[in-house]
Amino acid sequence: MLRREVNEFLTQTDNGKPMGEMFRQYWIPALLARELPEDDCPPVRVKLLGERLIAFRDSKGRYGLMDEFCAHRGVSLWFGRNEEDGLRCPYHGWKYDYTGQCIEVPSEPEESGFCEKIKLKGYPLIKIGDVLWTHMGDKENRPPEPSWEFATVPAEQTYTSKRWQESNWLQAMEGGIDSSHVSFLHSGSLNSDPLFKGAGGNKYNQADKKPVFEVVEADGGLFIGARRMAEEGNYYWRVTPWVMPSFTMVPPRGDHPVHGHFWIPIDDENCWAWSFDYHPTRALTDVERQAMMDGYGVHNQYVPGTFRPRQNKDNDYLMDRDAQKRGETYSGVWGIAMQDASLQESMGPIVDRTKENLVSTDNGIIMARHRLRKAAVALLDKGIEPPGRDTEHQKVRSAARVLPPDQPFSEAMKDDLKVRKGQKQTSV
Amino acid sequence: MNTDRPTLLSSCALAATAAEAKFRVDYPNSLTRASRIFALDEGAAQAMYTISEAPWNGAHFLTVTTRNDVDPEKTRGEDLPLASPDGIPVNLLDEIDKADVVVLISSSARNSGAAEVIAREAYHRKIMIAGLVLAGKRSQKEVEPVVNTLRPFASVLVVAQDDDFIPAMLTALRA
Repeated sequence: MLRREVNEFLTQTDNGKPMGEMFRQYWIPALLARELPEDDCPPVRVKLLGERLIAFRDSKGRYGLMDEFCAHRGVSLWFGRNEEDGLRCPYHGWKYDYTGQCIEVPSEPEESGFCEKIKLKGYPLIKIGDVLWTHMGDKENRPPEPSWEFATVPAEQTYTSKRWQESNWLQAMEGGIDSSHVSFLHSGSLNSDPLFKGAGGNKYNQADKKPVFEVVEADGGLFIGARRMAEEGNYYWRVTPWVMPSFTMVPPRGDHPVHGHFWIPIDDENCWAWSFDYHPTRALTDVERQAMMDGYGVHNQYVPGTFRPRQNKDNDYLMDRDAQKRGETYSGVWGIAMQDASLQESMGPIVDRTKENLVSTDNGIIMARHRLRKAAVALLDKGIEPPGRDTEHQKVRSAARVLPPDQPFSEAMKDDLKVRKGQKQTSV
Repeated sequence: MNTDRPTLLSSCALAATAAEAKFRVDYPNSLTRASRIFALDEGAAQAMYTISEAPWNGAHFLTVTTRNDVDPEKTRGEDLPLASPDGIPVNLLDEIDKADVVVLISSSARNSGAAEVIAREAYHRKIMIAGLVLAGKRSQKEVEPVVNTLRPFASVLVVAQDDDFIPAMLTALRA
């Protein structure tokens, strides 16, 4: 349970709100690089942290992210012409460069210097991996560029997708921390999903539906270990890292690619669910990549031409009660991503946490909320930089391993939970 | 996957809007919990007492008062030396009979025997046990013995760097 004011504190992310300022401390995913595939390609509308922005790639390949609306009469620059190193408003020809600086006002004499006085709010946009990242905070306080492993392995080893989720970011992210739902909601997928099935560890998940949890604070966030019984009294551990503010990774299964998420606020009632898959040491196979593009694993299918999932609240997520009855899916909704999203969206745009009844196994969620709140307050009151900006905090991995019962995962799996270049993930 | 089923607006998940949230039935959907919070050592007791005065929903804060190791084989539940924050001795069995959640707080590897006695009584009554290790600034290696003390008994174990997680956790659990 959270008090109403704490719920609002954690869920509101517009400019000037404490959690909004928190998100502005980080490089966050803004677009897939393939949304701006070539120089002078069409601009793309983006809404992030309650701000409507326009992204474009100029004639020299520079990426720009700025206020969507022309400073002259408020026209959306989505209608703009992307040409000769700038985005030109089609109404009266005002032109902006990739930083948002106005570089041409055709109605004014060039010598007047008028256009130099016009600047749209702009943010940096950089390409690392499949993703275009932005930092929406102060330029003077810009963190080092992101160094997440999924974004820094060679292109053939990684795949990223994103989908629009019609709920607040926090309830979406809490699903990424809450490992206990996997034994129920996703139980049908362990045997059928091509990106999950066949792993040796699956049998432990299926045999022991009551995992025991250990939540350990880390410098950048948390490690949440779920342990199940294995052979001869040993424990099968699955460890999920959470790095502030909203990065989670799913523990691996066999040699399948490893997956994870970013949860980024669009506004208070919508978020981007970013999903990635990568393998630290090998290229993704054609079959794996196709499965991801077809919506398996943590990915999803789309309404064509959009990032809205094909299964959405307008069609009851294509609920299939027969498949539920047959045991193919636990909830009747197809696909891991939409199994999560359908339930999280059903909570309402911002879940009322004053009414929830958490239990002891929800301690990962409780601790994540606690850390977020503390960090946001420390930033607000004392200007203390929050955890997760440091690139060392980003060099984490999820892991799965069988351990003797007297070994804490946090110590025994210390190395498994770190990025080790050239070494594959620790998995069962 | 069934993709052909027609969906009526009135029967679909579109009702998950902020406007529709107003029509959710407003009532208290849970009864008061009976939480029993046990500090297993002095450090844990100190951290616990700083928050025990706050208005809780019936949580009882209890401390293991002996400085000697408790032998779980020879100690019955009713013999475990326990006290409330005002120093009044209490009987474990009276406390745990009425409990529906038990939290064990530890800052050292001491008193694993007491933890076992409490856990045994909770186990017999099928009461969930959460363990909270107050790690402070110690390394994972240094807190390992504390974690090992609580691991056999707890269904969930939290290793927290700061004591302020105690009230955060208890509030979240409606203690």
